[in-house]
Amino acid sequence: MTKQTSGAGNAGVNRRRDGEPLGANSEIGRKLKQYYDELVSDEVPDRFAQLLSQLEEAEPAQQKD
Amino acid sequence: MAASLGFKGDLLATIPGLRAFAMSLSQNADRADDLVQETLVKAWDKQASFQPGTNLKAWLFTILRNEFYSQMRKRGREVQDSDGLLTARLAVHPSQPGRLDLDDFRKALEQLPEDQREAIILIGASGFSYEEAAEICGCAVGTIKSRVSRARNRLQEILDISGEADYGPDAIAAQVMGSTG
Repeated sequence: MTKQTSGAGNAGVNRRRDGEPLGANSEIGRKLKQYYDELVSDEVPDRFAQLLSQLEEAEPAQQKD
Repeated sequence: MAASLGFKGDLLATIPGLRAFAMSLSQNADRADDLVQETLVKAWDKQASFQPGTNLKAWLFTILRNEFYSQMRKRGREVQDSDGLLTARLAVHPSQPGRLDLDDFRKALEQLPEDQREAIILIGASGFSYEEAAEICGCAVGTIKSRVSRARNRLQEILDISGEADYGPDAIAAQVMGSTG
């Protein structure tokens, strides 16, 4: 049983911005950010930095054929 | 060229966001990282076409999104048409009323058609404006608004949320929800 409580401590605070249907006071909006923040904070594998270094070595600047 | 170093650094900085968006779209960690890799290669090849000073993150998200749909087409998968789906029948009921579990939310999000999912992610999580999201998705601002609204309604249906304290300015959506409860 994995019960996860929302980390948002300001759940009841009415802070929605105008034109924002997914504001801080919406359960969907909060969960969406929680879901996404978890993904964003996932550790980035080294392969991406290595890839960029390889690309840079292969094609240092904006000189293409 | 010094600009190249900067470009590389800028790309590195956006990778966490790109991965999150790719995960949101593909719902699969391996595919998500493949998408990010393809995006980085394409971005590098096309860096001359990027205009410094414009929104690099939006530019990269656009590339990633195009790559995602192009891969879907190659796999012969129909791009989901949000109008033709009845995801609500697969209702997920939160174990605890009023307290939404993140796993339940994740399952509900998976059930959304891609166009709705990407819209609600771009607006509600990635921090893009409606205008930027419309540009990324190659559609009108109104289309994004409508997709976000439908995505939110669909999530509320699936998750059986009623009595949201705040529907925002979209009163029509609130009425739709009210009629189903």
